[in-house]
Amino acid sequence: MNPTPNALCFGDGLPGAGAPCHVTVSADGLIMVPVGTSLLVEEAIAFTAMSVEAGGLDHDQLVVSWGADASVRTLYLKDPALIIAFRRAAPSSLMAHLERAAEQVRRARHSHRALWGSVVGVVVGLGLMLWFGSDLIVEWAVARIPVQWEQKLGETVYQDFLSKETVLKEGPAVSAVQEMAQRMTAKIPNNPYTFQVSVVQSPVVNAFALPGGYVVVFTGLMKKAESGEEVAGVLSHELNHVLQRHGLERMVKMLGLAAVVGIVLGDQQGVLGLAKQLGMELATLKFGREQETEADVTGIRLLHDARIAPDGMIRFFERLSEKDKERVELFSTHPMSAARAQRLKAELAALPKQAPEPFTFEWKGVQDSLGTSEPKK
Amino acid sequence: MKCEILYPGAFPMVRVYLDANETVKAESGAMVAASPSIDIESKMEGGFLGALSRKMLSGEKFFFQTLRAGRGAGEVLLAPTVPGEIVLLELDGVNEYMVQKDGFLAGAEGVKIESKMQSLTRGLLGGEGFFILKIGGTGQLILNSFGAIHKIELKPNEEYIVDNSHLVAWTSTTTYNIEKASSGWIASLTSGEGLVCRFRGPGVVYIQSRNPGSFGNWIRQFIPVSE
Repeated sequence: MNPTPNALCFGDGLPGAGAPCHVTVSADGLIMVPVGTSLLVEEAIAFTAMSVEAGGLDHDQLVVSWGADASVRTLYLKDPALIIAFRRAAPSSLMAHLERAAEQVRRARHSHRALWGSVVGVVVGLGLMLWFGSDLIVEWAVARIPVQWEQKLGETVYQDFLSKETVLKEGPAVSAVQEMAQRMTAKIPNNPYTFQVSVVQSPVVNAFALPGGYVVVFTGLMKKAESGEEVAGVLSHELNHVLQRHGLERMVKMLGLAAVVGIVLGDQQGVLGLAKQLGMELATLKFGREQETEADVTGIRLLHDARIAPDGMIRFFERLSEKDKERVELFSTHPMSAARAQRLKAELAALPKQAPEPFTFEWKGVQDSLGTSEPKK
Repeated sequence: MKCEILYPGAFPMVRVYLDANETVKAESGAMVAASPSIDIESKMEGGFLGALSRKMLSGEKFFFQTLRAGRGAGEVLLAPTVPGEIVLLELDGVNEYMVQKDGFLAGAEGVKIESKMQSLTRGLLGGEGFFILKIGGTGQLILNSFGAIHKIELKPNEEYIVDNSHLVAWTSTTTYNIEKASSGWIASLTSGEGLVCRFRGPGVVYIQSRNPGSFGNWIRQFIPVSE
């Protein structure tokens, strides 16, 4: 009975797909017995007469060649047990060659695995990055936006907004707000922004800041506040939204990847166009909870640095939360929570005590200049 | 199991004679007719996961048909979906064929079929996808092609260049690299060849005389566009 074939033999006069044969390892070489073919005769190949390399589609076959010119024969061994037996029996002169062959196999496998590994890694990494790190990407993109561009963007929206509203040009209210802003901005280290603060006639109890340092305070807020320090607290909060570039971060998130790519490639005109389409959405940007907290905390520090009594800020927030039944737009998206007030108090307690410097204006007079409060609905 | 090719040429069929209790596995849908003693079973070759991976990865059918001569000897007629030749190969346990996913028609019970992942460049550029079928074991293997099937025999280190969409099957003793058809990218694309495979012997490469993708593009222009 024929033995089962475990190798293929190639050479002149043999089938293209190889002649099946049974190969065994002997003390001084290989013994090849053809299986089911008359084209090949049994042959003993001495180790000294052969050369060895790795071959096959995946470099996982042992290729043994012997003979010269037209009579060259090549054996392809795939059976792992046979390959191991061969490596044990082969003399050291052939071993060097064999090891090189094995190294080729290993290298081919490694590069194969490394390639797939890196492809999987990149895909998984990108997925994780988008899943967990979108904030980091946004921050990274925002950090690349130059201040001039931010100002250009903010100014466009600012002028657009003011043109539709009644802006107070002068008077006690305007100079009071200017004084607050000046005292605070003077204490901002390395301030890249030129802040512009406007007072707009409106019953809305709110203030907002646009990217680039454009701040709007509504008269509704000033009428509601019981002291200048309370308004200064809100103003400080808004200034810090600008300083932390919160507006830009929200914008980049809203505009999405196109903006990020545009910023990276330096196509700022394109991004500017996109941003303008958003128009006044910029002014009503809703900040995230983390951004609010950050603006609160840095806001109270700024008040402290400017020697403005910081408890005004806390008191104003607390008062508004008590009267939550009235619609107070400033906090409509972020209802005042006890925890938020608590955090501010804790922050305040951690700051060194100092005597606050009062404002030069008298708050009652400022409020009177705004006229009587509108009747409550 | 004995096989006979009927009507060789563009529209062939294979007649498979089965002894009692012998089986043949075939691409699902390949059976045309059979003796009444033949039972048709659907089988997930390689178990559920094996079948799933073959389906998901190589785009092959999830189920193979297993035709069993359960109630006495009989015959089965099998035919491929596309017009083209059929080739019979004998597997002896040593030789192994890599087969692109549409090339398999049927195989004897001892024939083993698995999905094999190709290397990244071969998978991306080779045109057969990342996964191909690796067929080994013992017994007869029946492959089909689109158009005529042509056998190329390569001696050790002999090289041959094949347009990748014409590949049907190749033995695992050959190696191949993906290359541009011409030296420049533009010439490669405009020549209509794009990428080619440079095979290196020893071994056998089976190619088909028609390109399914090009045929699809050509026939699309005659299909009326519905509103």
